[in-house]
Amino acid sequence: MKRLSTVAPSVVVSLAILLFIGIAAVAPNLLAPGNPLAIHPMASFLPPSLGHPFGTDESGRDVYTRIIHGAGASVLIGITATAIGLGLAIVFGLLAGLGPRWLDFGTTRLLEVLFAFPGLLFALLFIVIYGPGVLTSTIAVGLATAPGYSRIIRSRVLVVKRAPYIEASLVLGRSRFFRVTRHLVPNVAGSLFVLATLGIGQSIVWASSLSYLGLGAVPPAAEWGAMLSAGRTYISSFWWLTFFPGLFIVLTAAATTLLGRGLQERVRS
Amino acid sequence: MTLPLGPTATTTTAESVRRRSWLPWAAARLGGVAFVLWAVATVTFFAIRLIPGDPAEAILGGPGSQASREALAQARKDYGLDLPLGIQYLHYLGRLATGDLGTSYSLRSPVTTVIGQNLGPTLLLAVSSLLIAVVLALLLALWSSRSGRVAAAAGSVLEIIASAVPHFWLAIALILLFSTALGWLPPVSVPGPAGLILPALTLAIPLAGFLGQVMRESLLDALASPFVLAARARGEGESGVFWRHALRHAAIPAIGLAGWAFGSLISGAVVVETIFARPGIGRSLLSAVQDRDVPLVLGVVLVVAVGYMLVTTLTDLADRFVDPRLRERS
Amino acid sequence: MKRLLPSLAILAAAALALSGCAAGSSDSSSSTPVKGGTLVYASGDAEPTCLDPHVGGNYPQALVATQYLESLVSKDKAGKIIPWLATKWTEATDGLSWDFTLKKGVTFTDGTPLTSEAVIANIAHLQDPKTASSTGYLALQKVTKVTAVDDLTARISLSSPDSALLDSLSQTWLAIESPTALKRSQAVNCASPVGTGPFVVSKWNHQQSILLKRNTAYTSPPADAAHSGPAYLTAIEWRFLPDSASRYAAVQSGTVDVIDNVQPDTIVAAEKQKNLVAVDAPRPGASNRIELNSSIAPFDDKKVREAFIRSADVSGAITSLFFDTTKRSYSPLSSIEKDGYSNPKLFDYDQKAAATLLDEAGWTQKNAEGYRVKDGKVLELEFPVSTNQSIPAEQSLFEQLQATSKQAGFKVNLHPQDLASWYGALGKNQYNLVSAPYTKVGPDVLRILFDSAGTKPAPSGYFANHAQITDPALDTLLENAAASSDAAERSADYKKAQKIVLEGYYILPLYDQQNHYLLSTKLKGFRAMPTVSTPALYDAWLAR
Repeated sequence: MKRLSTVAPSVVVSLAILLFIGIAAVAPNLLAPGNPLAIHPMASFLPPSLGHPFGTDESGRDVYTRIIHGAGASVLIGITATAIGLGLAIVFGLLAGLGPRWLDFGTTRLLEVLFAFPGLLFALLFIVIYGPGVLTSTIAVGLATAPGYSRIIRSRVLVVKRAPYIEASLVLGRSRFFRVTRHLVPNVAGSLFVLATLGIGQSIVWASSLSYLGLGAVPPAAEWGAMLSAGRTYISSFWWLTFFPGLFIVLTAAATTLLGRGLQERVRS
Repeated sequence: MTLPLGPTATTTTAESVRRRSWLPWAAARLGGVAFVLWAVATVTFFAIRLIPGDPAEAILGGPGSQASREALAQARKDYGLDLPLGIQYLHYLGRLATGDLGTSYSLRSPVTTVIGQNLGPTLLLAVSSLLIAVVLALLLALWSSRSGRVAAAAGSVLEIIASAVPHFWLAIALILLFSTALGWLPPVSVPGPAGLILPALTLAIPLAGFLGQVMRESLLDALASPFVLAARARGEGESGVFWRHALRHAAIPAIGLAGWAFGSLISGAVVVETIFARPGIGRSLLSAVQDRDVPLVLGVVLVVAVGYMLVTTLTDLADRFVDPRLRERS
Repeated sequence: MKRLLPSLAILAAAALALSGCAAGSSDSSSSTPVKGGTLVYASGDAEPTCLDPHVGGNYPQALVATQYLESLVSKDKAGKIIPWLATKWTEATDGLSWDFTLKKGVTFTDGTPLTSEAVIANIAHLQDPKTASSTGYLALQKVTKVTAVDDLTARISLSSPDSALLDSLSQTWLAIESPTALKRSQAVNCASPVGTGPFVVSKWNHQQSILLKRNTAYTSPPADAAHSGPAYLTAIEWRFLPDSASRYAAVQSGTVDVIDNVQPDTIVAAEKQKNLVAVDAPRPGASNRIELNSSIAPFDDKKVREAFIRSADVSGAITSLFFDTTKRSYSPLSSIEKDGYSNPKLFDYDQKAAATLLDEAGWTQKNAEGYRVKDGKVLELEFPVSTNQSIPAEQSLFEQLQATSKQAGFKVNLHPQDLASWYGALGKNQYNLVSAPYTKVGPDVLRILFDSAGTKPAPSGYFANHAQITDPALDTLLENAAASSDAAERSADYKKAQKIVLEGYYILPLYDQQNHYLLSTKLKGFRAMPTVSTPALYDAWLAR
């Protein structure tokens, strides 16, 4: 019973939100049985009402249905970008933590400067060379978040490297490979999970910002960023077109952040 | 923006304590920056040549850019595209090293001129936002540290949500509220302070969320520490305790975050300057990306990298100044 | 309260009526103009890279250059060519030259007098490859040389008769600049071109605004201007606000006085505002249309083209997306062109007819998703969309057409992309449908868009005949009209040409090139130039 009471209400709420979004991503028809692509030109720009809880868009499509069906695409973009970022970070972090001193020195200097360098600028540099679009913006977001994760993974690797069980393993004559796979990776993985949780929400925000600026997903895809991009021009007259996709993006990011921070608290204590 | 996740402050402190004197450290820093600039420039150089098609076209705005034959010839000359790859690369690095960032294709003027014209307004916006953010974070930290556990928890949740809100959504919400509904402030940037308020507020709120989280933790730690207890025992009032003792300790990790804050403000400026039609580096950067103007985008990235290095070096120095523990260690 | 309400209602109704739509101009007759004041204009178009419209030649340049540059001739609302910098013009009997007599006593703002030497210098500048003019250059393709008959008379010699010359010369892209100024480097001239206009370029803060100041020595208004002498406004601040919602918010709150590129939903919202007036000024030249690429399958078959057009519900889309702020067009030409020909019957929305036509064309089978199949190939259409040139409402319209044509079995793939990628797709002939605007004064635009010569790409790779029509009968009609000096004959030829284009189902006309302005009611005397529909602020003044 004591365990339950130590779970913060914010974590519970976040889990509930993420569960809802998860269902929307995997089985949207459970939550919204309609067709997100069906147009009804004569029913365009209807404000929120009982029949259309989030209103309709410029082609008469139900906004609620589109948001639910778009969850999958948006979450996929977030997961892909985070995976790219973390993947690169693991490579960098392991190289820096486990490699020879000069490699560590080089990568550390690199990461020291890159860490928290406005990743959006790297994303834009990538996009200016390879052109806008869903694929390039996803890759760009992944690349841009990699330096931040790398630094954390590297410090974690360094800490774990010096742990007693690693020393013990050395003394016992286990191979390097054994040390890495049986000890290092599982202990670093804990931080990774926290980072991934935080990262997915942030990646969705970044990717949708790029779509809002016209550099990412484009209509008629029922993807949250694309919906924002399409609704942007109608903000003064039909606020619900941007408000609700934006709200879902904020909820996802806030939920993943609250959850991630909660996990961090647990890991620390 | 990347989050300052995990033990940032403690890592910095631990590493700085290990340094003997600041000179080799500064040299290593400088080397690191030079390395990053070189890496970014090199990756861009090769990335452009990896795209299928004519690199001159890619530099001038992408395939089908309708660049005239003369412009393409000029680009080939400028970038030495007819020369062997190794020579091209050396010329390219040489030009960048002398500060010649090339010519912006979309604006037809030198990149350094464009950046020079636009840097001022962005810095003004960044500094104003930072000040507002610090004030907001302090106020929230002060309130929640005085008002008990529930307030602290609520404050924490508020800060986390604030830090997760995307800039464009916040900008829209603020415009709808303060401009369309209330009519207090202009919806786009105008000369003078009135045009600065909404853009600065849009950048300040998420930043205040992050700063608040960091400051609250160290503030709570500081308020529970022995020296504060001693001060209270000496009869100092709550505000004296707060301003003279606790705040200094709360400030340390916040200063460490200043470098990251600068970076986050620059990214935020891209969206905010565009929405509010405010002149600045961010807006120039976005138009450059939309026009596929590689020289201008690369120029901005390199200049921001240098600026970022300056800010983080200054904050590390300030760190040492504020935290005597870092100074004494030999 | 009870008695007050009916009178309030009457007042409100009156205010609404006064603030209603005005076509082409705003109310200027009711009071005396006030001298002074700075007008703030916010443009939704991109900031020009060069303020000299000779270089390149696009609409954003024309918008601002209308304030400081003037052309040899202008057009009035009825479409007649009227005097401006030239007072008289005569065509030689063989049609191979035109003599233009210039207005006396006009000087450029740098002190250079307006003489025939200026005309020579300007045309030379437009034809010089180093200037990189596209619009002006194309318009002057038949000009071989310009000579000075006397100080105030210039003779333009042609390689063959050109009926479109006067129309071309009325455009801002062929405006007359000071020959002294033209001798400067292009970079300097781009930053501050010198003309004879009512305003002068004073300062250009890149990506912020352009400051234009009143020309106190102004003496050359066009023949249809409302007054003479210097302009009323002291200065104009020309700003760039690309975001349409911000632009509307700015004019609504009074931060700016005029905006252009007004989107349909804000036009409707503005009707409810008492302090705003809408001005509708469609651009000349072609209408906004979708072109069907007749050079590659499946549109090389006329039946398939007609089937597609029959299955596209354009009118429904216009009502829902444009809120009836624009009328459907059934002509290749803009509604402000006198020689327009239209035939609404050809474009009736008729899914049954579409189905029959596709059956006749051999596309009889359907796959699981409902798309038509023939010989194993799906009836698939690639439609690259330029996000720079198609406003969001238009992009949504394409989505709706995609949905209605799906019912007939067409699979339309929309590819929204930036301008560079769009040009790339066109250049590689990788499109079946495309929508590309073309603004030009006069029906000669038909020749540019539908003559077979328009299928050959320019050195940059661009070509204008996207429907890829190569019809010798059509070519003859267009070339005859271009050379004929008989207005009635020209008109008949152009109408026949349009009939061929429409009946061949090569294009699907949508609506006029949209060009709306939204003004504060404080602004009086605003009008759109009858030539290229750019704002003329010479007669404009701000009420206190």
